[in-house]
Amino acid sequence: MFQFILRRMLWTIPVIFVVSALTFILMHSVPGSPFTRERALPAAIQKNLEAKYHLDDPLWKQYGEYMWGFIRLDFGPSIAYRARTVNEILAQQWPVTMTLGAVAFVFAACLGIPLGILSAVKQNTLIDHSSMVVAMLGVSIPSIALGPFLIWIFALKLKWLPVATWGTPAHIILPALTLSTFYLSRFARITRASMLQVTREEYIVTARAKGIRESVVNLKHAFRNALIPVTTIAGPAFADILTGSLVVEQIFGIPGIGKYYVTSIGNRDYPVIMATTLIFALLIILMNLLVDISYALLDPRIRYN
Amino acid sequence: MARRKPQSGEQTSDKPRSLGRDAMRRLLKNRAAVAGGAILLVIVLAAVFADFVAPYSITEGNIRNNYAGPSAAHPLGCDFMGRDMLSRLIFGARISLSAGLIGALTAFVIGVTFGLIAGFFGGKTDNIMMRFVDIMYSFPTLLLIILLMVFFKSSFSVSGVAEGGFRGALSNIDRATGGMFFIFLGIGLTSWLGMARLVRGMVLSVRGKDYVEAARAVGTPRSQILRRHVLPNVLGPAIVAQALQIPGFILYEAFLSFIGLGVNPPTPSWGMMLSEGYVAMRSHFHLVLWPALAISITLFAFNFLGDGVRDAFDPRQTRR
Repeated sequence: MFQFILRRMLWTIPVIFVVSALTFILMHSVPGSPFTRERALPAAIQKNLEAKYHLDDPLWKQYGEYMWGFIRLDFGPSIAYRARTVNEILAQQWPVTMTLGAVAFVFAACLGIPLGILSAVKQNTLIDHSSMVVAMLGVSIPSIALGPFLIWIFALKLKWLPVATWGTPAHIILPALTLSTFYLSRFARITRASMLQVTREEYIVTARAKGIRESVVNLKHAFRNALIPVTTIAGPAFADILTGSLVVEQIFGIPGIGKYYVTSIGNRDYPVIMATTLIFALLIILMNLLVDISYALLDPRIRYN
Repeated sequence: MARRKPQSGEQTSDKPRSLGRDAMRRLLKNRAAVAGGAILLVIVLAAVFADFVAPYSITEGNIRNNYAGPSAAHPLGCDFMGRDMLSRLIFGARISLSAGLIGALTAFVIGVTFGLIAGFFGGKTDNIMMRFVDIMYSFPTLLLIILLMVFFKSSFSVSGVAEGGFRGALSNIDRATGGMFFIFLGIGLTSWLGMARLVRGMVLSVRGKDYVEAARAVGTPRSQILRRHVLPNVLGPAIVAQALQIPGFILYEAFLSFIGLGVNPPTPSWGMMLSEGYVAMRSHFHLVLWPALAISITLFAFNFLGDGVRDAFDPRQTRR
């Protein structure tokens, strides 16, 4: 197990290398520079600015310096916001996105998984059918459609919750709901399917034959084994929820990293683009690793060696 | 596949059933899937014949109708430029569906080619190619697509003046398609990884089959083995798998257009209509309502049909 984790950690090195190189090449191929303005800057000033941010160095050198900084967790200065470093910007924006993402993920898992269990246990009843139709709606309504709907109902008509922006816990509810609906529904559908599959196994029949209470059979014998497919999507789900918040932050005007990422590309704020992409990639790698580890915990038959 | 004529004494239930026909039968018994398919058919027809179905121009509006609510002339009202909502929705179907279909096709071609090469040559080639796929899996797709779209848009299409050569040609194609061309490319270039993995796996399993071994033993050239034995076995499942991805590609187009990196403004994409309507939502909710409904219904229909197709091809899953 330890060896497995170590090997996976080493694997992140080439991943980060390719992701960073690709991002670097792409963003520097985009025409325009951070100093492109409506009114062109005097040539001398432009030159000095470029020298200050080392933008006049050859690309490989810029890349090398950036990555050297990245390893030491120094993400460099922001070019668009001269007075601030990328570290300061990230420290301010990441918590917002992470909070939103975490709340959405908890919504999705804590509502979706029980819904799936309920559907499976009450298979082919009205409860099952109606919750599966709701889940189907959930995977079909995209956040850009759901967000405005929720705002209209709960903020504009009922006036229960604030329309947009960020600040109090009440501000989190609508965007988190918008963000979580897709995965809430996927969790429900996958949990149901996998519960149905597991309940056909012989050990479930055995457990029932022994006269164990139905709730214990369902939750202890069936659910634990049914969790494996669910954890498989849990990793990508968290990553998708985080990147999905990019769109949701636009809808609700939330000052998180997703909204900032789009702005930064517009500003050609190279260090911010790099740092954001790399952190997202690292998170995805981490989530996938956690999924693999949790396999081993859930299913003693799975060994990594 | 040639249909076998029923022999005289043969009973219908004994007819050999191909996987495809069996799946079709199961699919038609699934009411939700049939309903989804029917809705989808209507949307597809509307998209194909948009020029005849749509009652008004989609680019020119009447300034007196700005934000107009529903009326006899404009059943769904008008948008912020006085353009008929219904007509724009109908043309929007064309945008969404073609993003889904052509995006899927682009990703399919790249993924199948990549997977075929990796699986067929095996060894070191396979190893290097698949490690690359593994690495790209850790790249956040939405971020990559956004980067790519910005790259395409500002390298090729913004320049305005017609340029010669390769760049000019690309930019002209993109302008002619209202900004759709780069969306196809963006989707295709970022969404082929799963297909490559799937195809490679299938190629490996076909390659190990005895009949391929036999073909090789009698000296069949590699290209012919690939064409005669490997491709036909791989294409069917790959097409089904890719068709199931279409809703995801429709979503990408809508997202990109919503954040302003998708189609170019007069083109009526549902995502763009949502972002345009969103600013005026407080007083004119119908600007958001209709495109939101349109995209949700389309995806809903797609998902029901897709679920049915998946179940039909994999009978184990439906066993109750």
